[in-house]
Amino acid sequence: MTPALRLALVLTAGLLTGAAQAQMTDATAIVEAANEASYYAGDDGRSAARMMIVDGDGNRQRRQFTLLRQDVADGGDQRYLVVFSRPADIRGTVFRVEKHVGESDDRWLYLPALDLVKRIAAGDKRTSFVGSHFYYEDISGRGVGEDRHALIETTDDAYIIESTPRDPAAVAFARYRTRIDRDTLLPMRTEYEREDGEVYRRMEITEVETIDGYPTGTETRMTDLDSGGYTVTQFRYSEYDIGLPADIFSERSLRNPPRQWLRRD
Amino acid sequence: MLHTARPIAARLVLLIALGGLAPALAGAQDTDEGWDDEGWGGDPWAEEQTGWQWYGFIEGAVAPRLQSDPAVNDDFTLAETRLQLEGERRLGDYTANLKGDVWLDGVEDGGRGDLREANLAGRLTAQTDVVVGRQIITWGTGDLVFLNDLFPKDYVAFFSGRSDEYLKAPTDALKLSWFGPLNVDFVWMPRAVPNRFITGERLSYFSPQAGRRVAAPPKLDPRDRDDFGGDSELALRLYQTLNGVEVAGYAYHGFDNQPSARDADGRAYFPRLSSLGASVRAPVLGGIGNVETAYYHGEDDSGRDPDRPNDQWRWLAGYESEPLSDLTLGWQYSLEWIQDHDALLAALPRQQRRYAPDEYRHLLTNRITWQSPRQDLTLSMFTFYSPSDADYYLRPRAQYRFSDSLTGTAGANLFGGEDDWTFHTQLEDNSNLYLRLRYSF
Repeated sequence: MTPALRLALVLTAGLLTGAAQAQMTDATAIVEAANEASYYAGDDGRSAARMMIVDGDGNRQRRQFTLLRQDVADGGDQRYLVVFSRPADIRGTVFRVEKHVGESDDRWLYLPALDLVKRIAAGDKRTSFVGSHFYYEDISGRGVGEDRHALIETTDDAYIIESTPRDPAAVAFARYRTRIDRDTLLPMRTEYEREDGEVYRRMEITEVETIDGYPTGTETRMTDLDSGGYTVTQFRYSEYDIGLPADIFSERSLRNPPRQWLRRD
Repeated sequence: MLHTARPIAARLVLLIALGGLAPALAGAQDTDEGWDDEGWGGDPWAEEQTGWQWYGFIEGAVAPRLQSDPAVNDDFTLAETRLQLEGERRLGDYTANLKGDVWLDGVEDGGRGDLREANLAGRLTAQTDVVVGRQIITWGTGDLVFLNDLFPKDYVAFFSGRSDEYLKAPTDALKLSWFGPLNVDFVWMPRAVPNRFITGERLSYFSPQAGRRVAAPPKLDPRDRDDFGGDSELALRLYQTLNGVEVAGYAYHGFDNQPSARDADGRAYFPRLSSLGASVRAPVLGGIGNVETAYYHGEDDSGRDPDRPNDQWRWLAGYESEPLSDLTLGWQYSLEWIQDHDALLAALPRQQRRYAPDEYRHLLTNRITWQSPRQDLTLSMFTFYSPSDADYYLRPRAQYRFSDSLTGTAGANLFGGEDDWTFHTQLEDNSNLYLRLRYSF
């Protein structure tokens, strides 16, 4: 290697590192970046997931599923297929979503015992996802434009963002604060507050791994501080950019899930 | 003697069921299992399984009648302990599926069994799926109202207090699905599979011939359509989704699933039925709207033979929305329009005319479902109301999921109306309250 080339490499590396650590100052841009880091890694992805749902009395329930995702546009529309394998009474249930940013999602549910493909009204995205403490919008992302965002603090490793809903009547919270990691841009902790400032709901990323170059929250916890109940979700065998064909997000896959894309290698 | 012995048998069945479930109730409180794979059964992390995988449930169910039925010598419409086993095995690109029920029946006194699925399913080509063997098939857009779905239903199970999944009866069929610019489902049933209709054995019904509600004996015993090939049925669906709008066309050539005709000797049989139809389902005003239509071409297209059904137009419009969190509301209107009603009335003997169906049968349904925020409690009410028949059918239900393995359900089937012979009123004496407890494994 010539000294000139070495110098060029060192300079380029320095520039890249500098860029990654550059301080962002626009709150909405930070939230958009966090949204992309959380929900849009790669053009598509597959992950095995399991949830443990613990209620305030310590009773546990479990959900296990495989998640396939494809981006139609970065930061925009997406397709999801969720295939449940546990527990026994939910096994074989398949959930399909066409996520549309700024308008209602299309959702379908397949119930195998009746061979029934049920279309689900778009309705409220702040209802429980399969009985867990996570809402639908916690799984697929809340629209960045639904809240006003303000950067209230920048620490050595995180941005602290406070968000307030544009339509307060549509949600149960008055505001929420998100702690976004400056390196990975993952939202490591989100706390939802009532009007009086009391935090009643908290989402945390408790494990991060870099997979195929994308920092990924591999364990997340949602706590309902009112009841003391919580749900822990673990993601394993995640892979990105696997080249999912668009046509597997279809009614065919509800009745006959695409096994070649669901199994892990 | 029988009248007193049967309820006792029924209660015994319930006790056995609850006894069997007691350990399950205790197990529902498990708190210590963590993330170790044991708590997750044999399918850790979506790994491809080899060999047979088995699942199933044990269920105890009772459904006492809310009144005595002068026609049926039993105070219960349901009293059983049921075991369902479901097996699945991967075979290359195919999956072998088996699902069977066995149960101890306190109403029909004895052991019973039913094979619900026994099929091989998989990808034939990149664009073609196949399912061959015994299977459950459903299509169409109605909620508990079926126009183009002419696959067999089990109304006895549905009305007597069994779980909703038993409304669909299995059928032996070859189903080919082709996926392209227009998706095509083709179903061949080599032997006609009728509904599991009301025979009088468990539920009473109205007989126009007798002019009153009747039950077995004698049970309604229509001529079978069991000639392999000769009594075959075909069903076709073409469908596609465009920008969230689901459009489908349907065709059927087979037999009525109800024994709705009578031959010269007065014996009931399943007459020829062909149909054509279409449906659209799409998001409307924040909810889901659907319309569906079907034209039924009956065996007697002039209406001059009252013993054979004539042509019908059927229409359905529905709307479902979630106006509040965890609350779902569904509405449906359906119309059955008999095409040669004047001829039908003219052909009927005078004393039978009052039992004849109206030219237009209107049916309204409403479904209200509320789920608790954690979705362990589900309260629902399904109402059928026919203004033309002046009758109703209510299905209130409360379901509680105690744990991943234990679910309890309480509900009722309530029938009533003005005239003894209309569709729902005839079942009035079968009104029941049911209780089911299911342990899944």
